[in-house]
Amino acid sequence: MKDNPYLPELARIVEIKEEVGGERAIKSFRTQFIRENGFSFQCGQCAMLSVFGRGESMISISSSPYTSDYHQFSIMKMGRVTTALHDMQENDIIGIRGPFGNAFPVDQWKGKNLIFIGGGIGLAPIWSVLHTALHEQEDYGDFTLIYGARTSGHLVFKDELEELRDKMTVYLSVDEEESGWEEFVGFVPQNVTEKKPSPENAIAVTCGPPIMIKYVIQALQDLEFDDSQIYTTIENKMKCGIGKCGRCNIGSHYVCKDGPVYSWAELKQLPQEY
Amino acid sequence: MIDLAALKKEAKQLLKDEKVTYLLGYRQGSNGHRAVPAFIREPEEVEQLTWDPTCTYNLTRYLIDEVRERNSSEEREDRPVGILVKGCDNRAINVLLQEKYLRKEDVHVIGISCEHAGMVDEKKLARELKNQPVMEIEFGEGDRFVVTTEEGKTTISAEKILADRCLECKASYPAGAEVIFGDKVKREFTRPYKGLQEIETLPAGERWAFWKAQFEKCIRCYACRSVCTMCYCDECVVDSIELAVTADTTAEEKARKVRWAERSPVTSENFTFHLTRAMHMAGRCVDCGECERACPVDIPLRLLYAKLARTADKMFDYEAGSDPDQPPLTSSFTMDDPGDFIR
Amino acid sequence: MENILTKQALPRWIEQLDAYQIYAPVREQEGWKYAIVDTPDSVTLDYPNTVLSLKSILFPQREVFLEFHSQNGRDLEVEELLPGDAQSVIFGVRPCDAKAISLMDKVFGGDYIDNYYWKRRNQTRLIGLACNEPVSPDCFCNAVDGAPYSTEGLDILMTDLGDRYFLESVTEKGEELLAVEDDLFQEAGKKDQKAVKDLRSGAEKKFERKIPELQNMPEILANLFDSDFWEQESMSCIRCGICTYLCPSCHCFDINDEVETAAPLKGVRVRTWDTCQFPDFTMHSSGHNPRSDRAARLRQRVSHKYRYFPEQYDAFLCTGCGRCIDKCPVGIDIVEVLNKAVDYEG
Repeated sequence: MKDNPYLPELARIVEIKEEVGGERAIKSFRTQFIRENGFSFQCGQCAMLSVFGRGESMISISSSPYTSDYHQFSIMKMGRVTTALHDMQENDIIGIRGPFGNAFPVDQWKGKNLIFIGGGIGLAPIWSVLHTALHEQEDYGDFTLIYGARTSGHLVFKDELEELRDKMTVYLSVDEEESGWEEFVGFVPQNVTEKKPSPENAIAVTCGPPIMIKYVIQALQDLEFDDSQIYTTIENKMKCGIGKCGRCNIGSHYVCKDGPVYSWAELKQLPQEY
Repeated sequence: MIDLAALKKEAKQLLKDEKVTYLLGYRQGSNGHRAVPAFIREPEEVEQLTWDPTCTYNLTRYLIDEVRERNSSEEREDRPVGILVKGCDNRAINVLLQEKYLRKEDVHVIGISCEHAGMVDEKKLARELKNQPVMEIEFGEGDRFVVTTEEGKTTISAEKILADRCLECKASYPAGAEVIFGDKVKREFTRPYKGLQEIETLPAGERWAFWKAQFEKCIRCYACRSVCTMCYCDECVVDSIELAVTADTTAEEKARKVRWAERSPVTSENFTFHLTRAMHMAGRCVDCGECERACPVDIPLRLLYAKLARTADKMFDYEAGSDPDQPPLTSSFTMDDPGDFIR
Repeated sequence: MENILTKQALPRWIEQLDAYQIYAPVREQEGWKYAIVDTPDSVTLDYPNTVLSLKSILFPQREVFLEFHSQNGRDLEVEELLPGDAQSVIFGVRPCDAKAISLMDKVFGGDYIDNYYWKRRNQTRLIGLACNEPVSPDCFCNAVDGAPYSTEGLDILMTDLGDRYFLESVTEKGEELLAVEDDLFQEAGKKDQKAVKDLRSGAEKKFERKIPELQNMPEILANLFDSDFWEQESMSCIRCGICTYLCPSCHCFDINDEVETAAPLKGVRVRTWDTCQFPDFTMHSSGHNPRSDRAARLRQRVSHKYRYFPEQYDAFLCTGCGRCIDKCPVGIDIVEVLNKAVDYEG
């Protein structure tokens, strides 16, 4: 970490991959720091990406700490800064501050079955923890991914998803009938109910649109998951990333610093204002 | 003198008969002698109603929130909101009616004439009393205020401690209100545009230096804009603090949004904000003076809007809010408007 | 160290401090502000409190973080711009403002050190002025674990004894400032100490505003989270930024890039004050806003000060200066809100 937590390190965009096109486009950016700076992170942490002249945006690091060639950020085109990012080309320079926030407690999950549940762009924040655990697959139990999006065109990491099937169970879904689609049709929470993952010695990690998270938690509770077995990563509007600007708080917690990773048991203790 | 008991009786009846959803009025504040805005819903609550020289708030500002609420609710409320207005406040209602922001049936107006007095300027009062704490201030007979301090009661002539906008007032009687308390009187001390005339005696260079010094003080708290009834835009042109973004606003729209003034409270940006707002007040500002009263760093904002008001008056014979049936100044023209570029 | 300085000798002391930039309260129209004073004679300590608090010097409303420029669109240079090296002394700091600074120290320290704040902070010495009585009817420092003669955050505390000042040094930095000409200060005697003691107990009694159940306030506020108490109390709020901008302990800020030229790219990244009271403070890019109504925002302001900050740091983020009460354009009164919260059943 730098001396000055507000000063970004410069990084070059080495690869841009289009994940989803259209209105809410999603691109994955792979970056390399221009100079050696000892940047190291844990899965679940985020970084503030700077587009100088436009501003900053807090994005989860979607690659795992085991990937040393680059850091990956999968970003949806949403507003001012993300649009500027989407307009960038390979070799352009951005700023990176971080890593910020807390990490998924993967060490505590050793020996357990891991169920990853994502919706849309929500797969990106949990992609890192999925691959971190997968890197030491023998230390954990069964791996399951339940992931869906509005249409098959809205699924992210499509190629990697197919590769994952060799290593773990992958259940995909789309919201509505689509020609050629042979897997589940319906919302992600419904797919969770259908696939009935067992709470026995299990941890569930979920991320997606707020409404999806709400119903996934519901579905998991109906399957008798304990609140401490359900993990999620939340977001809030952020500026400083270091718990000082006062913007992202939920009660006395700053999501940028004390979060964004929470178990449902922890999160429900906080004021429900997010 | 205003018959407060009669006013309370009127208010109580309105609420008892459920003729209004609630009444916007004034009540004693929690600290010191100043009144604060009151939202009175039950007839019993009418007892807290007060009318004194600290009832300076332009309650029509709360009609903006009420209109937004009515527009967004599924079943539109069919009863009006009751509201106490002074002459200046009443003009604000007229502007809202002219601009079709407010419908006549949404508001039940109870007018109170300022008669020979008006609202006290707290700073002038403090100076007059040499900073002695004030316990109470009431309307006295005619143009007198009665001020109570630890040393007892004393009367002060209104002209000494009236707010500047009251000394320049063009509308002390709320003509057109459903019910009016108090008489229409001729006020001897009135000098419209007095402050503006004084500053206009300065040469341009000095006026520029004056305003530069004023805008250097501005902290962009936006109290002037927030307190103004006329500033009801969902999204303000100079700053995106009221960003009307919905789930349907595209990324392109957000990305292309122009920031006309940076958030930084530097002189250049402060000029941009204030002069833009002033232009938007032409033909609309009723000189209720709330902006200047609210400003924590004492910027004489009324001078800006007075300049435009007087220009509107001279060029177009137009006084903001004097007639609810008049069209708004900047969205209408007549064939004898000055300037032949349009013919 | 406890010293006496006669009022006539004050300018001479200030003259000795020529290595420092001297800030003192100066009149600005109806109010007061801190400004750099060039002439020691012009320093007056006979004033209530400033409109803009001490934070406007140590945590200025606009702070440039860094500068960026790109010659040809490919290479990019970013340069950190820390505050200058000027050493300062600020006279006339009221204990409420000083205590607020020590609260801000917690915010800007901790796991991440804010260099911009700390460079200024470490280069500044605060000389306080005790209040012999409430300087405004809105003061309530002693209702929030404070006192009109508190030394928290100060390097020296001065007490006005009429014809002379009683000076007590609080820190080493304060002592350094007192290490000047021998005959400038006299050692304080028993008479002086008694005068100070009497003044202080007299001052305490003059503060009338109280907050019942202060130590239980975090719990009281937690229980009121979902109630319509906030809707009621926030009805007249017009969503300006006066309460938070004038507050000596409010620290929320925004960070924005300001572009001077787009091609070649040249600009700065700046921090500016921001406020939880502006509607878009918490608005996500998607349009989702966790605090979209004024009830939620009033709840946030009061809870941050009397529930969330205490949960983190065991202190209230409010020092009772009363500015928010005095300057709120519609008379919203945080002391009244807290009093009502205690009794609220709903």
